[in-house]
Amino acid sequence: MDQFQLKFIDEVTDLINALESSVLALENRTEDQALINEIFRVMHSLKGGGAMFEFYQISEFTHDLENIYDKVRLGEKKVERSLLDITLDSVDHLRHLLDEELAQSPDVLETHKTLTKRVVAELGEIQNTANPSSQDNKEAPHGLKTYYLLFKPAKDIFDNGTNPLYLVDEVCELGKTLTFARTHDIPKLETFNPLLCYTYWEIFIQTSLDQSEIDDIFMFVEDQCEIINEEIAQLPLLLNESFTNKVNKNALENSIQFNLEQLKKWAKEAEENTSETEIIAAETTLVKEKIQKFTKESKIASIRVTADKIDLYMNMVSELVTAQASLKLFSSKLKNTTLLEIAENFENITTQMRDNALGMSLIPIENMTMRFRRLVRDLSQGLGKKISFVTEGTDTEIDKTLVEGLTDPLMHILRNSIDHGIETVEERKKAGKSEQGKITLRAFYSGSNVHIEIEDDGKGIDAEKVRLKAIEKGLISPDEKLTDKDIFALIFRPGFSTAEKVTDVSGRGVGMDVVRRSIADLRGEIETESKINIGTKITIKLPLTLSIIDGLLVRISNTFYIVPLSSIARIHELKFSELKTAYNNIATINDRQIPFYLLREELEIDGNYPEEVQFILVKYRNKEIGLVFDIIEGEYQAVLKPLGKLYKDHDIISGASILGDGTMALVLDTNKIIDKFSAN
Amino acid sequence: MIEEDKITNTFLTFRLGEEVFAANIEKASNIIEMTTITKVPRSPDYMKGIINLRGTVLPVIETRMKFGMEAKEYTRTTVIVVFNVDIEGEKSIVGAIVDEPGKVIEIAETDIKPPPTVGAKYKSELIKGMIKTEDQDDFIMLLDIDKVFSMEELLHIKETTKEIKDKEL
Repeated sequence: MDQFQLKFIDEVTDLINALESSVLALENRTEDQALINEIFRVMHSLKGGGAMFEFYQISEFTHDLENIYDKVRLGEKKVERSLLDITLDSVDHLRHLLDEELAQSPDVLETHKTLTKRVVAELGEIQNTANPSSQDNKEAPHGLKTYYLLFKPAKDIFDNGTNPLYLVDEVCELGKTLTFARTHDIPKLETFNPLLCYTYWEIFIQTSLDQSEIDDIFMFVEDQCEIINEEIAQLPLLLNESFTNKVNKNALENSIQFNLEQLKKWAKEAEENTSETEIIAAETTLVKEKIQKFTKESKIASIRVTADKIDLYMNMVSELVTAQASLKLFSSKLKNTTLLEIAENFENITTQMRDNALGMSLIPIENMTMRFRRLVRDLSQGLGKKISFVTEGTDTEIDKTLVEGLTDPLMHILRNSIDHGIETVEERKKAGKSEQGKITLRAFYSGSNVHIEIEDDGKGIDAEKVRLKAIEKGLISPDEKLTDKDIFALIFRPGFSTAEKVTDVSGRGVGMDVVRRSIADLRGEIETESKINIGTKITIKLPLTLSIIDGLLVRISNTFYIVPLSSIARIHELKFSELKTAYNNIATINDRQIPFYLLREELEIDGNYPEEVQFILVKYRNKEIGLVFDIIEGEYQAVLKPLGKLYKDHDIISGASILGDGTMALVLDTNKIIDKFSAN
Repeated sequence: MIEEDKITNTFLTFRLGEEVFAANIEKASNIIEMTTITKVPRSPDYMKGIINLRGTVLPVIETRMKFGMEAKEYTRTTVIVVFNVDIEGEKSIVGAIVDEPGKVIEIAETDIKPPPTVGAKYKSELIKGMIKTEDQDDFIMLLDIDKVFSMEELLHIKETTKEIKDKEL
């Protein structure tokens, strides 16, 4: 596979994604002409690109689809469910076709056959009288035509900020052009008004595009210009020297506008003596230009970088942050002012670079919502429910590694909402709700966290039912007093499932506990709110990034620990003697009873606490719990490094970080620590 | 004269107490001096902790304990051998504390004896073979490094080694 083909696959993957989202949007707005045009355009690009880069299956396959959407575009066919179904199936199929190996597998070949039949059948419905083969024959190689364009802007065109030259440039990009700027209307200097446009243009365009594409350029200025757009020959006339000579000569001799009749006559003459080879030569250059354009287009606004490269860059920036910390440490020891200055400068640059690197690995949530949209559509149809899926704040960006870990849990939550949350049409009618249910996915920043909410307007969760079930399963005792929030948190306990019957969609007993664990793996939290008959809202809180965290550097004996700042509520300095005598590990601080853990004992570290100890209050499930350390060293920006497979079951430590002098600090996962100690 | 069809393999040997072990040289990436090791709380005793190996976290194993031998004070010769291991299909690095690094030896494949099956089967799986060289009276035990370091429990290799040797002699 050559590099152009690889590039093409990249481009096409984007195109297919765009196609999928347009088709899904079209489902709700079947009359939306812009969407239909967009779909048509994508089909067209797929077909053209496929043929150009030798993905013939793709180009053949999209050919008929393109024809269907052409009819839709022209209003000859309505957007119906069957068409949308076929198109979505095609989207999946196109993805398979991109994979060289997969494309030849028997399964895919079979799908190819059946889908092609369905597409042809769909097309046949529209074309019942037309002869389908003639349609195919018409598809001649890019026919180059020559157009004459007169573009005469109104004198006051500058008033609304239009620059006619941009429009001329745009026309020139359509193909090979020959342009004449006509300046004979410019008045003498004494009457010249610099705010008016006196120039007009005449352009000969040689292109394979439709006449309408030229018109499109002037879409917004139509009313302020005089435009003549005429096809003068079905040939690449600009290659014909006798024609161009005549035109040039005429333009030199008469500074006024061309005579259209005259032009057509010349064109006719030229047409008679243009040889086949010239046309072919012109077409070859055109194809080459197209390839270049196709591969060049995406480079302008953004470039593609493989995820590996970003990961490598992130790692190196992490190293740099560590190296910078050691430079800072040693320069402050040496007390050399020049060195300190350099170190400070270096720190500034490093911080900026870190922020930049973090930004680079962020991607908008938008990227995953398409899959969700599809899920909602397919599932709700299967269950006979009507559901609209609304997204808000999808431009919120999260770390790409988070996206990978977040997709499955979110899918699961959505499946639950569709299956158990939203009621059937009849149930909704009975409850006095609109027939169509609604699921909203909302994302937004909150401090150094990202919140993702999935809210449905379904039947809600019955807290009492959950409580009874939890008692039945032995998760809680019958006399335990729990708030609704605590009760809903029970859903995420292992082995808990309230679904009354097992369906294909969800409710296999495993479920929400897996979701909670996946979210916890991303150092995130999950919460549920629900009201009967109003709906359920599940909120996921995630850290912005996984690799660098703001922490507090603390110490017990000679071991350094890092506590994430986000989990710290307050810090007290206490006398150890007060804690030692505390009953049942509960300390009284400012008249409040606070449970605490002596980490030196819990972590089995030798030695004794000093007289003054640091009592750090960390947030734990709406409570505050004290963790006791020897000394606080200060705030520290920790580059988190995994401990590796050997410590895979060791989840109270989320990773290690290298300090400025090269020693290691262990990053504590306070939630897991308290989970563990409170279970003992 | 050179025997052309003789396939040789290169091994790194190291000593633990009286025993000499060998590992395929491709598995060993580095030998570093003993340094301060940060203990990870609540981990098994044989998991000595982690160190900073040029910016990467290197878990270090007290090999004597892992192999069921008594822990001993470190000496001048104690080093950490860094091995590349596959743990559950994932490439990782592990540092193994050994009493003394040995040398790099080349052994013809034909000179490697398969170990006799002894005791619990998995234990003898850890030993890929035995090598007897001219300047070494005893057998050198050739270890399957991936297996040795991906098993979580203590291995009691010492007993296995003894059993194998008893059977062989």
